[in-house]
Amino acid sequence: MVSLYLRMIGARVRAQLQYRVSFLLDLFGFMLLTWIEFASLVVLLNRFEGIAGWHVPEVAILYGFSSIAFGLAEMFGRGFERIEELIQRGGFDSLLTRPLGSFFQVLTSEFQLRRLGRVLQGSLILGYAFANLPITWNPARLLIIPVTILSGGVIFTTLLMIGATITFWTIRTPEVINIFTSGGYQLSSYPLHIFQEWMRNLFLMIIPVAFSSYPAALFLLGRQDPHGLPSALAWFAPLAAVLFFGAGYLFWRIGVSKYTSTGT
Amino acid sequence: MQVYLMVARQAFRRSATYRAAYISGMITNTFFGAMLCYVFLAVYGSRSSMADYSVNDTITYLWVAQAMISIGGAWVTADLSRAIRSGDVAVELMRPWNYYFFWLSQQLGERAFNLILRGIITYSLGVMLFAARLPALADLPGFLVALAFAVLISTALNFLWNASAFWFLDNQGVVTIGSVLTMFFSGFLVPLAFFPPWLATIAQILPFRAITSIPIEAFLGKLRGAELLLALGVQLFWVVLLTLAALLLMRRAMHKLIIQGG
Repeated sequence: MVSLYLRMIGARVRAQLQYRVSFLLDLFGFMLLTWIEFASLVVLLNRFEGIAGWHVPEVAILYGFSSIAFGLAEMFGRGFERIEELIQRGGFDSLLTRPLGSFFQVLTSEFQLRRLGRVLQGSLILGYAFANLPITWNPARLLIIPVTILSGGVIFTTLLMIGATITFWTIRTPEVINIFTSGGYQLSSYPLHIFQEWMRNLFLMIIPVAFSSYPAALFLLGRQDPHGLPSALAWFAPLAAVLFFGAGYLFWRIGVSKYTSTGT
Repeated sequence: MQVYLMVARQAFRRSATYRAAYISGMITNTFFGAMLCYVFLAVYGSRSSMADYSVNDTITYLWVAQAMISIGGAWVTADLSRAIRSGDVAVELMRPWNYYFFWLSQQLGERAFNLILRGIITYSLGVMLFAARLPALADLPGFLVALAFAVLISTALNFLWNASAFWFLDNQGVVTIGSVLTMFFSGFLVPLAFFPPWLATIAQILPFRAITSIPIEAFLGKLRGAELLLALGVQLFWVVLLTLAALLLMRRAMHKLIIQGG
């Protein structure tokens, strides 16, 4: 299964490298996007001298974590964003006739190498944050980094999958899903405690994207959450990710079984 | 002229039929409006004003920006690129009218619908939930003129970015670059008033601020009298220049066009 996955992904990557100018322009545009996102954060924090006691290096931890996780999801889960086209043109029908699960086929239908840019940029920003903050490193603090990144990646990928599943009913991908994908991503670049309770609960307990950054940042910085959220919560990110993925996968199976072709 | 009016009217009506799409869009804009309000309330903290923007000015700014999103202050839509790539554009190009004005009429109809319905509802939610303020009656005419110019500038720019598909079939990168520049330098992400001076100067020179920033400043009453006239003059300059550029580029593209078979 893994070698098959790598072969299919390899084919996608080679295809993208065929159009060299397009690929380079694409990569450049995408890098510009990620840097402008961070630049606007810096512009805002510099002008207002921080946000609720968090300054650029601290916020850079949040941004770095969520950027890497979102970047991983966009790289691996982009196939789910093609579902609209697959359903509208009837491509999903032929996919169902093949001897491989539909989940696996959609997952490998697209792999975007240029999204590697976001992962690299997020890593650089995380590195900048660590270099500029007095964090006392110990094994637990080192371990929380990969734990958070992997959990975040799974959570964001699940979101893309849920967005795709809704399309089985609506045919068009609803704009609302942006609230959870790009909204969740933007929200996790800010310290969670500045948001109202309903928003905090929504993004911790129902759509757990906040796990991709904030608890880990509290843990690394040794900070207290003003609303009493324990920083040990950072260790529950994998649990949140697994539960969320399980629920999302179940939803996907229901969506596939309810799928009716558009007839084109 | 009458043909273009009809095209616009039809595009307006067509947008009205996608009810799920615009309701879903409105919920999304309201969510982003609310999220950004919390962010700005947090950065203001105990301050009452920053760079001549009171807390209420900034909150109003954010909601007007969300309400105006359909005119294209935040991203460049790639529908036209897709039509060029698939060859669908050929049918429209053969018809006895100017393709740019045909496409523009379609865009105007669609954007007018979204601006009126989505815009007014989204903005009203901002008034109810976050006390965004209503414009002074005296500022309304200036705002409406600025808004009309903003739509023409944003559509001309949109055409220019998309027309790159006549040259590179896969122009996703060009469209992304266009979106990023628009989003940042229009003042959609962060109001230009909060930019550091050197960056604000760059934003002043570029056309993007004419899309989001100028109409909102007029709405807030920050542009009045001579300042307002100057800003509208700058907008008019961009309307003329960018429309001419779009017409010229289209003529060049006609000589270059190869339709992909299929």
